[in-house]
Amino acid sequence: MTDNNHTLLSIRNLSTHFFTEQGLVKAVQDVSFDIPLGKTLAVVGESGCGKSVTALSVMRLIPWPPGKIVAGEIEFDGQLLLDASERRMREIRGNDIAMIFQEPMTSLNPVFTVGNQIVEAVKLHQKKSGSEAWTVAVEMMRKVGIADPERRVEEYPHQMSGGMRQRVMIAIALCCSPALLIADEPTTALDVTIQAQILELLRDLQRRHQMSIMMITHDLGVVAENADHIVVMYASRVVEKADSEELFAKPLHPYTQGLLRSLPRLGEKKERLDVIDGAVPNPLHFPSGCKFHPRCPIGKDDSRCQTEEPPLKEICPGRHAACWYAGENKDE
Amino acid sequence: MNNQEVTTDMTQKPVKGRSLWSDGIRRLRKRKFAMVCLVIVLIYFALAGAIYIDEVLQDKFGEKGYEGISLFQWNESIGPSYQKPWLDYEWTPEDSEMSQEGWTFFGTDFLGRSTWRRTLYGAKTSLTVALCASIISLLIGVPLGAIAGYFRGWVDDVIVWFYTTLGTIPYILLLMAFAVVLKDATLFGHEIKGATSVYLAMGLTSWVGICRLIRGEIIKRKESEYVLAARALGCSNGRIIFKHLLPNVFHIIIINFSLRFVGFIHAEVILSFLGLGETDRPSWGGMIDAARTELARGVWWEMTAATVAIFFISLALNIFGDALRDCLDPKLRTD
Repeated sequence: MTDNNHTLLSIRNLSTHFFTEQGLVKAVQDVSFDIPLGKTLAVVGESGCGKSVTALSVMRLIPWPPGKIVAGEIEFDGQLLLDASERRMREIRGNDIAMIFQEPMTSLNPVFTVGNQIVEAVKLHQKKSGSEAWTVAVEMMRKVGIADPERRVEEYPHQMSGGMRQRVMIAIALCCSPALLIADEPTTALDVTIQAQILELLRDLQRRHQMSIMMITHDLGVVAENADHIVVMYASRVVEKADSEELFAKPLHPYTQGLLRSLPRLGEKKERLDVIDGAVPNPLHFPSGCKFHPRCPIGKDDSRCQTEEPPLKEICPGRHAACWYAGENKDE
Repeated sequence: MNNQEVTTDMTQKPVKGRSLWSDGIRRLRKRKFAMVCLVIVLIYFALAGAIYIDEVLQDKFGEKGYEGISLFQWNESIGPSYQKPWLDYEWTPEDSEMSQEGWTFFGTDFLGRSTWRRTLYGAKTSLTVALCASIISLLIGVPLGAIAGYFRGWVDDVIVWFYTTLGTIPYILLLMAFAVVLKDATLFGHEIKGATSVYLAMGLTSWVGICRLIRGEIIKRKESEYVLAARALGCSNGRIIFKHLLPNVFHIIIINFSLRFVGFIHAEVILSFLGLGETDRPSWGGMIDAARTELARGVWWEMTAATVAIFFISLALNIFGDALRDCLDPKLRTD
């Protein structure tokens, strides 16, 4: 399925480390995946597994010090982003790759009207006069479903609700028609009805603009509905890669299986939900071998899992998993 | 989707002024006492402005017969030396000639010049010096603080080291040292004299406080999501500092400016009193200095006039500055 599509973004063996005073934090290690044109890829994982750092690495927005991309290649539309100059990156950010953030409450500058902020994004990347940019701003506000945009552009962020502000953020991100939109937990801070509206809006805009989306989330419900491909991350590494439907039908990695088991199901009679035992390991002191082994039903007592780290290997066409026993699970 | 918009439309308040600024100004208007203080401050400024315009006009049209407003003719002798204020003055037949036009309200100084006129003129000297010194100290302190706070690392180290070193020197000593060095020095071919050396000295020595304040605020705000969002939009560092971060701390700059202004008026008085200030033209500090030796002889009016003038502007600026801070700083809001 991926093969006959043109690849827009390709991340190969990306490693991002943070050199903190407590020690070296390997936030992202050896991460590789591709995003095809016009498709949605979801990066799923618990807090602190390196999802957001991967996204910021693509934008080259890792703050140095303490963070640094130490290895890997990021190819976007034929350009190697890690070799690009800072000036070139500024042209790419916002124009070719746009990003929306988790917190719509704080992602807008409180002292400017929302119109001003959309106009700024337009003016940064396009040669447009003030009134033209203003027209674009009103048009974008209408496109993201804000009623009465002519009046709303004059308002300050604090006058808007969370859902409204996230729409404004999307308007800012999309006003230059980027080829790739990175959405870092775009709906986490919103309530469920607004969440559905925002996701619907993103799907709609994606269809109209042929845009690729990299969606970062920990919400498997959001993933199931929106993503074409899924990358599951655990403790700085990719543990499983697959097409959305296949992953939900038959997860290969024990971590993914645990995640799916812990979801509540309608109609199921249960006192308590299943959980994955233990907690996410501290990135300063990752366990030896497979990082999931202390919490894994197989790896807990397996000497191979405790000493050797499994590589990400292709289990069957289009499906990758990083587990010594992934292939065997499939046969069960 | 529609539901949500309908409800937000219904709860929409028809308030026109809605930004931090218009909101703050609305609060300020409610404080009657602060508004009275603002009027007092504005009167001082209007006076200084009028004197300034009068001087410019005299320079330009002096040959064509423009004589200026007589109230601002501070250099004119209007009576005998050390004339007492008219409050307890007993007119004698010899005085009649000058009493017709001589406005001896507040008495005269040792050259027979009107203390009243000199006090009025002092407003121009004081406010010019305080305004210029404030602007110089903001122009140095704000960008330095913003750059230090934003970039951190070695840039921050250098700037912090610099202002900490400057901050360890006692202020008055530093101010005097600068004033002595700058007095009658030449800068870019221009001779610095009088008030210029005073405000240069004050501006160059007093930016540490505002620099430290802005640095702290920028450090606090640069981790905000909107800064990251601006970077993700492709904004350069300079643009983020000056277009995104500084407007967010601008109310702090304004508040600091209004409170600091009083300090500069006092500093000017101190410098003049020490003989390092403006000597060619009247200033409040100069008047107090001149009156100091004569006080024992009972010449109280010159010092009183200057002190009262300083008292009113200081009090008004302090109260107004406090009110401004209460209204503009979101953290201090109570209502």
